[in-house]
Amino acid sequence: MIRRIFSSEDGSAAKFFMFSAIVWLIVGMGAGLLGALEFSFPDLTKGVAQLSFTRLRPVHVNTVAFGWLSMASIGACLYIIPALCKTKLHSEKLANFSCYLWNIGIFVGMLTLLNGYTEGREYAEYREPIDILFVVALGSVSYNLFRTLLNRTVKKLYVSVWYIMGAFFWMPIIFIVGNRTFVAMEGLNDGILNWFYGHNILGMWFTVLGVGIAYYMLPKMSGKPIWSHSLSMFGFWTIAFFYAPTGTHHLLQSPVPEWLKALAVIFSAALVIPVISVLVNFYMTMKGSWWMLTTNMPIRFVLTGAFWYLVTCLQGPFQATRGVNWYIHFTQWVVGHAHAALLGTFTFFVIGAIYYGLQRLTGQRIYSVRLVKWHYWLLLIGFFLFFSSLTIGGLQQAVGWALGYPVAQWGLVLPPMWLVRSIGGVLMFLSSCLFGFNIYMTMREKPISSELEIKVAVPIEGDSK
Amino acid sequence: MSEDKNSNENKSVGAKGYILPAIVVAFSFAIIYTVVVAIPNLPSLKSEPSKYAMEYVEKQADGTIKRDKKGLPVLNDAGKGRAIYVREGCFYCHSQFVRPQDRDFGSRVHAGDYANETPNVLGTSRTGPDLSNEGGKLPDEWHIGHLKNPREYNPGSIMPSFSYLSDDDLGYLVSYLQTLGRKRFDDPENRHIYEAYYPEADEAFWHASEHHKPNVDSAAAANAGAGIFRQNCAVCHGLNGLGNGPNALAMAKKPANFSRPYYKAYSDKTWYWRVAEGVPGSRMPRWKLKLEPEQMWYLVAFLKTLPQDKSPIIEPYQTIDSEAWQSQSALPERITDNYEKLAKNKKKGGKSSKGGHGGH
Repeated sequence: MIRRIFSSEDGSAAKFFMFSAIVWLIVGMGAGLLGALEFSFPDLTKGVAQLSFTRLRPVHVNTVAFGWLSMASIGACLYIIPALCKTKLHSEKLANFSCYLWNIGIFVGMLTLLNGYTEGREYAEYREPIDILFVVALGSVSYNLFRTLLNRTVKKLYVSVWYIMGAFFWMPIIFIVGNRTFVAMEGLNDGILNWFYGHNILGMWFTVLGVGIAYYMLPKMSGKPIWSHSLSMFGFWTIAFFYAPTGTHHLLQSPVPEWLKALAVIFSAALVIPVISVLVNFYMTMKGSWWMLTTNMPIRFVLTGAFWYLVTCLQGPFQATRGVNWYIHFTQWVVGHAHAALLGTFTFFVIGAIYYGLQRLTGQRIYSVRLVKWHYWLLLIGFFLFFSSLTIGGLQQAVGWALGYPVAQWGLVLPPMWLVRSIGGVLMFLSSCLFGFNIYMTMREKPISSELEIKVAVPIEGDSK
Repeated sequence: MSEDKNSNENKSVGAKGYILPAIVVAFSFAIIYTVVVAIPNLPSLKSEPSKYAMEYVEKQADGTIKRDKKGLPVLNDAGKGRAIYVREGCFYCHSQFVRPQDRDFGSRVHAGDYANETPNVLGTSRTGPDLSNEGGKLPDEWHIGHLKNPREYNPGSIMPSFSYLSDDDLGYLVSYLQTLGRKRFDDPENRHIYEAYYPEADEAFWHASEHHKPNVDSAAAANAGAGIFRQNCAVCHGLNGLGNGPNALAMAKKPANFSRPYYKAYSDKTWYWRVAEGVPGSRMPRWKLKLEPEQMWYLVAFLKTLPQDKSPIIEPYQTIDSEAWQSQSALPERITDNYEKLAKNKKKGGKSSKGGHGGH
């Protein structure tokens, strides 16, 4: 698949990022699945340090967050930004180089985490040398995209450009601040900073990238302009303003200063504003084109993501309020919520973008539309099982704690939920393998050179004409 | 920038007109960063170490921190244990802050108590119990055994087995666990408050157990214990402690069969603790709520006589899955060795003190 190292061929970096991402998706989901199985069968890997749940968890989180979702989003952005700026990427060589660094970082990071070399802060587990690698890779991608933006030939910036460039502006700052390896923080301050970082890579990186990609995909595929440009800009500026201080809502009942908690709660609740404005815009853009769900697979992925975005972003502000947080915090509900954001929403967005973008980048027809459908349904059903079992389990835990049962008493209540979660995990893992297989087979086929045929190559069944 | 401005307008639009929004983005982010990150971390606003903040580094005689050749602080045993706690990711499932609404986890921790700790291990999920006040609650040998085989000690637990850790590492880890929360009840000023709120976590638990403690190796005490056993325990554990009482039929987690050689490894304190605290996740109650310490010691004296040398008198009684039950209950050789060593040492040194206890 990788024909040339440091290729300067157009679109090679975007492809490289996407292919790497799919490999890390399968690896990361595999680690997550094994970890989930260990909830049901705790002695599954007894005596093997590297496969203990506590070692697998950071590997899973970091591999899917930085390996899969970040790389896939960057791959999509490397395609979308030049397309929207009507120019070429500033330097394909530099982008390919960043992708190598990124892959080395994920691979070495995975090995170090499995062997217990961890920083011990959630989402920031990678050790110092790998952090530096990521800063260099991320910085060079950002530089590349900003240079591309400066070379653009269209005057007006489409909303996706704002979102994506915002992400590439914020993420290096957040990453450097969050992984402050050379600045020692102590006690609660370390916790506050940990969650400033931990929540902002979700909000100011994954969310902003994902929404930016969806804003590109929906009008492009439905062939209609975005419903309201000003509403989309309103969403961008409100998310930019409201997101940053929300991280402290992870520590609402801890001895953190009250004014910080109040700030976090208010800003978390205010996030309803950008969410509603984004979703209204998505749904109104689709008005009259909902039939596309049945035939157009990329749009089906993106709209399913938009549905989960509604679920997770209504949960978020709701559970950040003190009353609900009191009840829900520390339970499995939160695990379900976190997956609804990263898996349910942004993974679906990005998969849609990969199915759409890869065919345009390579000029190859997708190997099998049937496999795409299998991928979709296995992923959706698997995720639904996953999400609902953890949500129900979390509520059971919460009511138990509210009534004063000790945590350990739940050993008999949660196992069925964890088993269902594992079944969902198996389905999702299978769907990812199908995804990888489908993309691999697609790349083996000969490219279609004709422009006309490339247009038809989107997996659309039953021509509408 | 200047290059872009000079370039052809049709080809490249450049940064014109977007400098102001860029400044706005940067400025808004800078304000938020200042409020959330910079201000709480100002030296003047940092929380001072409280008097209960634990020290995880070695100190020299003059009170300064001992440093190695590279200038890094030398960790004490608990500090090394903390590093293992972080390395093994214990904080993914165990939180370390007690919330106002929590019961059973002891008194709340304050900001200054964490002052010497980095990275933070506050935790985000309670798949296992909160550990803020774990120290002193259980004997060391319980912790080591539990870390190696969690389900031997806590049926229904889903904690991973940490049997892959070396004995040294386990020792450090346990010495860290024993510091958690001790910071507060080591202070005589707080003892009365703490005991009233959470008596079992205190040394008072073990102190009270010494009151009217009989000689648990005597036949008379065992005889007295047999009576208490038949009144309270036989309905589940059976008349002879074989785990075959009438209630056992209806239980998902079967009652223990005390004739299993496994129980030879129990020390007196472990027996006592198990009777007093019950078995979480099963129907075994916390007998300290009903029985006096003296009665529980009699029970210990009786229970000690039950384990057989080689194989149990009967196989486990009517389990749902007897194979799983047996394999779950199998004791690895390593622990047996440890316990045997402990038992031997006790026998060597314990003879003279027996007479003293017998007099009470």
